[in-house]
Amino acid sequence: MSILANIISLTIVFAVPLMLVALGGMYSEHSGVINLALEGIMVIGALCACFTLQAFDTSGFGKVHPQIAMLVAIIVAAVTGMVFSLLLAFAAINLKADQTIGGTALNTFAPAFAVVMTWAIQGQGLTTIQIPSWIRITQENFGLEPGKGFWDMLIFKYFYLTTPIAIVLFFAAWILMYKTKFGLRLRACGEHPQAADSVGINVYRMRYAGVLISGFLAGIGGIAYTIAVGSGFNSSVGGYGFLALAVMIFGNWKPVQILGSAVFFALFKVIAAYNSSIPFLPKFEGMKDQSSLYQMLPYIVTMIVLIFTSKHSQAPKAEGIPYDKGSR
Amino acid sequence: MNKKPLAENQMLLTILASVISIAAGLIFGSVLLMILNPAKAGIGISAMLTTGFSSMDQFGKVLYQSAPLMLCGLSVGFAFKTGMFNIGATGQYTIGAFLALVGAIAFQLPWWACLLLSLIGGAVWGIFPGLFKALFNVNEVITSIMFNWIGMFLVNLLLANMPIMLASAWGASNSDRTANLAQANPGAVIPKGGLDALFGNSSWINISVFIAIIFAVICWFILEKTTFGYELKACGYNKESARYAGINANRNIVSSMIIAGALSGLGGGLYYLAGTIQYVLEKKTLAMGFNGIPVALLANSNPIGTIFSSLFISYIQVGGSAMQPNFSSESTDIIIAVIIYLAAFALLMKGVIQRFLESKIARKSDPGAGETKNDTSGDATNAASGAAAEDAAADEADDPEDVAAGPESGAAEDAGEVEK
Amino acid sequence: MTVAEDFVIEMLHITKVFPGIKANDDITLQLKRGEIHALLGENGAGKSTLMSVLFGLYQAEQGTIKKDGKEVQIKDPNDANRLGIGMVHQHFKLVECFSVLDNIILGVEDTKHGFLQKDEARKKVMALSEKYGLRVEPDALVSDISVGMQQRVEILKMLYRDNEILIFDEPTAVLTPQEIKELMEIMRGFKAEGKSILFITHKLSEIMAVADRCSVLRKGKYIGTVDIADTTREELSRMMVGRDVEFEIDKKSKNVGDVILSVKDMVVASKAHNNNAVKGVSFDVHAGEIVCIAGIEGNGQTELVYGLTGLEPLKSGTIELCGRDITHATIRERSKAGMSHIPEDRHKHGLVLDYTLEQNLVLQRYWEPRFQNHGIIKSAEVRTYAEGLIEKFDVRSGQGPVTTARSMSGGNQQKAIIAREIDKDPQLLIAVQPTRGLDVGAIEYIHNQLIEERDKGRAVLLISLELDEVRSLSDRILVIYEGEIVGDFDSVAMEELGLYMAGAKRKDRKEAAS
Repeated sequence: MSILANIISLTIVFAVPLMLVALGGMYSEHSGVINLALEGIMVIGALCACFTLQAFDTSGFGKVHPQIAMLVAIIVAAVTGMVFSLLLAFAAINLKADQTIGGTALNTFAPAFAVVMTWAIQGQGLTTIQIPSWIRITQENFGLEPGKGFWDMLIFKYFYLTTPIAIVLFFAAWILMYKTKFGLRLRACGEHPQAADSVGINVYRMRYAGVLISGFLAGIGGIAYTIAVGSGFNSSVGGYGFLALAVMIFGNWKPVQILGSAVFFALFKVIAAYNSSIPFLPKFEGMKDQSSLYQMLPYIVTMIVLIFTSKHSQAPKAEGIPYDKGSR
Repeated sequence: MNKKPLAENQMLLTILASVISIAAGLIFGSVLLMILNPAKAGIGISAMLTTGFSSMDQFGKVLYQSAPLMLCGLSVGFAFKTGMFNIGATGQYTIGAFLALVGAIAFQLPWWACLLLSLIGGAVWGIFPGLFKALFNVNEVITSIMFNWIGMFLVNLLLANMPIMLASAWGASNSDRTANLAQANPGAVIPKGGLDALFGNSSWINISVFIAIIFAVICWFILEKTTFGYELKACGYNKESARYAGINANRNIVSSMIIAGALSGLGGGLYYLAGTIQYVLEKKTLAMGFNGIPVALLANSNPIGTIFSSLFISYIQVGGSAMQPNFSSESTDIIIAVIIYLAAFALLMKGVIQRFLESKIARKSDPGAGETKNDTSGDATNAASGAAAEDAAADEADDPEDVAAGPESGAAEDAGEVEK
Repeated sequence: MTVAEDFVIEMLHITKVFPGIKANDDITLQLKRGEIHALLGENGAGKSTLMSVLFGLYQAEQGTIKKDGKEVQIKDPNDANRLGIGMVHQHFKLVECFSVLDNIILGVEDTKHGFLQKDEARKKVMALSEKYGLRVEPDALVSDISVGMQQRVEILKMLYRDNEILIFDEPTAVLTPQEIKELMEIMRGFKAEGKSILFITHKLSEIMAVADRCSVLRKGKYIGTVDIADTTREELSRMMVGRDVEFEIDKKSKNVGDVILSVKDMVVASKAHNNNAVKGVSFDVHAGEIVCIAGIEGNGQTELVYGLTGLEPLKSGTIELCGRDITHATIRERSKAGMSHIPEDRHKHGLVLDYTLEQNLVLQRYWEPRFQNHGIIKSAEVRTYAEGLIEKFDVRSGQGPVTTARSMSGGNQQKAIIAREIDKDPQLLIAVQPTRGLDVGAIEYIHNQLIEERDKGRAVLLISLELDEVRSLSDRILVIYEGEIVGDFDSVAMEELGLYMAGAKRKDRKEAAS
């Protein structure tokens, strides 16, 4: 049973960054901008949040008020993610640049910048920023006894502030996209910007909003990923930004389905790591490194899904196309 | 009369744009270093800029690393010419490297046969994005990214299950990397062709850079001199007019991705058959393929230009490693990132500059826009004289979309295809 | 006009200049309160430009706009909306994956505590729908509903915003006859409500049926405004077409040979809507004649040509070229069989703009043994050939064969295409609007080339929107209207032709064939 609790718990903690970042991609693409830079934005968000946590740790504030410190770190991740995504927004919206190339530039920049900064701040050769242990939410926070039971494992083994925040942001995304005028207008800009323009919506402004929100979410996703991995931040988010793109596509650019596919992809990640100790998985006798097999599967499934859905893809119709007010 | 041919201007324009990008990247990188560590910045910058030429050994390393970079750059550039963004070079590179090593270690093949295998491996991995685009109209960027990861995990999986491939089977203790070729199969190591003597016994240098240059020339030849290249470029510039001319666009998309994949794959073969590097079972995709993107962008996808841009990128990368321990070698990636960022809208800027230049030329050469001939025979005197500039303008007013699309109309149309 | 008249909108002395062309030249348009005012003109007459100025999409260089007698500035669609001006665009501006209701409220949404409130909106939409007979399904997705209903959604968008001045930009182009009839009823309903309507069209029957007054534009100039009660179709047709410019071209009498192209019951689907664009067209073109397909833009000409040249598949019907069935042949096979095609859009199809002139000149024949050997292009041969064509057809450019096509003037781009297509020595030359956007000299040159081809005994199929061109070049005129051939003439008077093109008259098939 403890294995099951462990798997569920781990799946949740890995699904959190995937969902947040995929939701970020969703906002951006619904506004009409392909955000290939999610990976880079995650790195920047994680970098700045980790430095913040480290600062709280050395000052001693973190040990006294761990969750306040964590909240501040998350806010730092979100804000720096937004600032970094401005670079993509400026290139894609104002300069009408190729969005995929612009995104590639940010993806090249972010990890390099993170390494250089880590060196500069921590000293030569120290490429990993350690994450303080006090950030975890424990039973004590709720006045409970620490324990090793099923529910203790399930809830508290990997319980961080990012999880409740992700749940809030998920509901916020669903409401924002479908229940507010912002969502309606944002989606209109990604589908048919000329139509949006003709009813007086400022397409440029909506696209900026879409990209910035994606920066906000990907930044938080960056720190959430780093926490989930648990071994500190070493200037990489392990391709989760790209995986989140797959999650977004697999989730049909819709919040609820994105949540589902984030859990699905996270489950595969966890199985990949724990496949030997999970009793009900098929055992391929004599095959080594089965984790690679399980890690590969989500990508293969995504490709197969793409084959079947490409004919009626739900992708925003105008994504990737710079909007020019002059052309009709 | 304009004396300077426009084609030459365009070439100049491209080179100018690349030089501006490089300068901006270097300045940005230097400023960052100065902010981070003012005391050591000078040493770091000079290490980055001079190491490549500091010794024959280092220069040998520049040449050695430039070969796979050149091929990845050619790969990305070749796909660009057909209107495809091959962000999957790294996956093709990984598969190519894997097959080359399998040929070398498991089957004990000679180096040239291993290179052939790497070529085939990359080509196979290049088929997928091409086929998915042609058959299902799936954006090649998405397919490429997915197949980068599939490729990496697949190689890890296969290597883990081929014990003979690993270093542990050849007397070494580690099983996280492939065997050292010097022990496993010296015949698979790419020959040095006597160059080591010339390069002060550099362990890096071999003939791979010349192989890469030969492929660059072949690419140039295909694109510029053959009907196949003519068709590929027509598809890349304007898919609709290619169709109008009876060209099968889908077949060309797949062909160009196969070739692009083969080039990246060969890059992987060249890098790992040098005998100096062992393939380590990685958890992240290899950077080499991604670095093909700035190489291609700097060269404006021109194969001959790729030779120089890959040498440049390799040069600053070698310089980057020499910046340690004062700075991380990743500093050079920041410069590369700035270059890519600027390249994203370099096309646009070039278009603006070009139109600006053209309007100047048109105004200077009088009467009639841009004419060199003064042939006034025939009934058509009216047709050209004086009215040409005006009717070009009228033509533009006729379809405003065309004007807006400007120099990137090809790319825009392509994007339009993706969404349908 | 007396001061006492009640104009709701006045556009006074509007001039709108695009680089090199005056799209609107001192145009005045006065819309009375509660009238249906038609705006009539050929393609390129400046109708759409004028309406775009009124709707805030373009800014005029000169002239003023008055609303209720007071001068106003309209800088963008928001300004227009505030003044009560709404527009149904020719190409609908609807978000396909949104519901009908969402499309209607987009941009003027009601919210409560930040949440969308659709109940009120739904009630209002349903009430409007009821009142004007605009049947819609508010929850259906736009992508699932018919073109007719999409148009009703566009109309409801205007009504929902309480617009009093309604602009309809060629609203009937995509509708079935039944839907057109309904639309006319709806417009009359608006008029009864006191709304004022501007109705852009070039179909005379619709104007006669529904409009009160009609203003006519021609080549960017204002021709006049007439009361429909006091005018006839013939007069409107004359005003639209004009008689001032008539090219007379020296033409030998025709010497007709064998049938080259034979089209039977051709049907081509439309990309824009669910109806077929070409509906069972049959005709022949003989050697040594110029057959012209005349008609107003959007009546199926583009699709007809796509079907003939292989750019679009036929839904049914057959095509024979020189007695050979090419119905299912590829584009390349048709080209080899002797078909040349001067396309409608030289930038989209005719040229690879980033290729040089010489590369463009061999676009249709680079694969011939003459220009390649085992896949390797014979550059010297291409150069020689290109230089020959440039000389022969007097194509002018900055650096001759190596000029980038993009940098050439429109006229010379077109000459390059014509040189390429004619030099292929085709049996059949299909020329689609070959003189579009060109100056007088270039037009004359191209006309002479087409006649020369005819005199050489080739079959020429000309698709044109310009009546002058149709009249001066054609040996035979086929009139296309809503995807059907409605007239077949050896010669015809201008006014008569205008009536056929506007769908006001038609000969049935038997009569036409005789």
